[in-house]
Amino acid sequence: MRTAIESMLSSVSLGIGVILTLAIGSSLALLAWPARNSPGLEMWIFSPEHKLLYEPALEQRAAQDEPNVNMRVIGIPALKSRMMSGFFAGLPTADLIEIERQMAGQAFTGPIDSVGFTDLTDLIEREGLLEQINAPSFGPWTSRGRIFGLPHDVHPVLLAYRADIVEGAGIDVTQIETWDDFARVMRPLMADNDGDGNPDRYLLGLWETDADRMETLMLQGGGRFFDEQGQIAMDTDLNAQLLAKLVSWCVGPDRIAADVPDFTGAGNKLKLEGYAVAFVMPDWMCNIWRLQLPQLAGKVKVMPLPAWEPGGRRTSVWGGTMLGVPKTTQRFDESWALARDLYFSESIARELYTRNDIVTPIKLYWDDPMFDQPDAYFSGQAKGRMYVQQAPLIPARTSSPYYKQAMDRLRDAAVAVAEWSRSTRTYEYDAIQARCRNELARAEVAVKRQMDRNVFLEASP
Amino acid sequence: MSAGRPQGRSLAPYALAGPFVIVFIIFVVVPLARAGVLALQQTYGPQAAEFVLFGNFAQLARDPLFWRAIANTLVFTAASVFIQLPLALGLAMLLNRPGLRGRGIYRLIFFSPQLMGMVFVATLASIVFEKRSGLLNQALHWAFGVSLDFPWLQTYVMPTLIITTLWMYVGFNMVYFLAALQNVDKSLLEAASIDGAGPWAKFRHVTLPAIRPVGSFVVLLSIIGSLQLFELPYVMLNATAGPANRGLTIVMYLYQSGFEVGDLGYASAIGWVLALMLVGFAIVQARLARTEV
Repeated sequence: MRTAIESMLSSVSLGIGVILTLAIGSSLALLAWPARNSPGLEMWIFSPEHKLLYEPALEQRAAQDEPNVNMRVIGIPALKSRMMSGFFAGLPTADLIEIERQMAGQAFTGPIDSVGFTDLTDLIEREGLLEQINAPSFGPWTSRGRIFGLPHDVHPVLLAYRADIVEGAGIDVTQIETWDDFARVMRPLMADNDGDGNPDRYLLGLWETDADRMETLMLQGGGRFFDEQGQIAMDTDLNAQLLAKLVSWCVGPDRIAADVPDFTGAGNKLKLEGYAVAFVMPDWMCNIWRLQLPQLAGKVKVMPLPAWEPGGRRTSVWGGTMLGVPKTTQRFDESWALARDLYFSESIARELYTRNDIVTPIKLYWDDPMFDQPDAYFSGQAKGRMYVQQAPLIPARTSSPYYKQAMDRLRDAAVAVAEWSRSTRTYEYDAIQARCRNELARAEVAVKRQMDRNVFLEASP
Repeated sequence: MSAGRPQGRSLAPYALAGPFVIVFIIFVVVPLARAGVLALQQTYGPQAAEFVLFGNFAQLARDPLFWRAIANTLVFTAASVFIQLPLALGLAMLLNRPGLRGRGIYRLIFFSPQLMGMVFVATLASIVFEKRSGLLNQALHWAFGVSLDFPWLQTYVMPTLIITTLWMYVGFNMVYFLAALQNVDKSLLEAASIDGAGPWAKFRHVTLPAIRPVGSFVVLLSIIGSLQLFELPYVMLNATAGPANRGLTIVMYLYQSGFEVGDLGYASAIGWVLALMLVGFAIVQARLARTEV
């Protein structure tokens, strides 16, 4: 044996020897390297704005000898991928994670016991937090009846409009109660002054490819995509009626909507040019406009959304963020205490609005006079109060792991109907509605097919 | 003859091959085997898994989204082979003309999109194809009165992707063809000219056979690359498959199934189908190339 080893060693060249030594040495070094144990709590968030919001509170905690908090801002795709990798493998992620609505579906897809976030339902009930927080705001963070996160916001929706254009044309928006009123009263703004055969501007920023705005307006009208048991419910008369109306705004001679995307240079240019007059505006979008469209300061106002029918709901909801505690944390009590400190802090709730225009879900703070302050960007309106007044009225949203799939299929349905309408020049509302019903039925079958093969997804008890 | 010497000789090859074999087993054999098992499971990450045997493949067979992804990918592959490669060859022939000045500059210009990388090209292209403010619609509107709202990224997703890859890959493939053309035996071309062959006859009977090995290689690369299409539609369509799944490709569906829905088993089944397609195309292409020689 010894001879064999000697013989083998003698046949190994110097180069091979160096490579083998380095390989073995580096492997042993890695094995011996101690795992880094951070002394503080680890918190992952996706928004740099939230970091600015939380930093003063964290500094205050540090001054009081509370556990240090390592707050990391991680881009949404990276955060989602790290979080899900950890959840899938049962490996530690962070002690607290803030996620937005699009990310929640995947986190809730598996067996209820395999959801990576701690089930906070009993704790929230025991500590009386259900009464303190706006009830509909729990919706997106609830799966099969269990709550997995504290809501960060309400995100009520108003209608923003170019006051300089609308009031310049002598239009009085107080005459508008319903969407039909909106189309009728605003119609003179669609004049073709340059004589190219097309309106110079349109009334609403909306397009059949924009599932977010479609969903927002359909929720306003009472539409929904999943029932209370989490079953798909896209193929309904009401959804077809609402979708047909939205599509009819994008096609034909009665078209009032234009494709003006958010968050892009091209879309912002169209907003500056006044290509569309009004936009569906959740509270968080106010700050985006303020930062990306400073030229519109003093030219914009908000009003309650026109209702789908007289006396109907004048708001909706768009987006959302939650703070959850992963099951793998070794320091649940400290993490939960920090979550409560951050989300129930009055000063942070104030900053949330003054910095980010976002209305807190803590109902106790809704009386704060800061919401009554005139906002110069919004032509001196007390727009905070207008959002707060609508906050309790936002529609309830059911949560489903298949939310993203449903939204994709909703968009496909809208695109199919709009393209059919344009290609056949069929613009009558009844025909569009019938087509919507067919497309929604197809959409429902497609989502149901995916849901049915999920052996882990159980209906809520 | 000592007893230890033959034994030492017989161990040395194993010791030398050992590191590679270990790496190969850890990073190739084990993942392949794991992927094979995964394809027979429905999963929510590695911790929650249920055996469904061939249920994933049966589901794939009746999944309209999968067939949509297959159709889109095959259309894109066909465009790569039948539009992109002939254009690349044509461009290479133009640049191969004797006496052409600044050949290196032209080569750099046509090759330059490759230097930017797919993500940058996709980002730029999505701005170029934008409605109203996009460069292409502005140019078409100015030249032909085409509507500024022409929906490239809504209704014409696949043509848009094909045009973008032409921009990216025609120059890249041109470099291969140009290198091959520059190695065509000049004496054969001269002999053909003396025999009275015209340009087409010289191309058909001298140039084409001479560049066939490189051509076969480029065709195979194009097919493999096209079947793996992902980043371009992912970036251009804002991480979606586009309206009505017009930009859905096989790899994008694999990604959605595995990393958005979390069903690694289904994604693995899609991966195996893709692998079989790649092997099938490679075999067919190799046979065609052999029979043509």
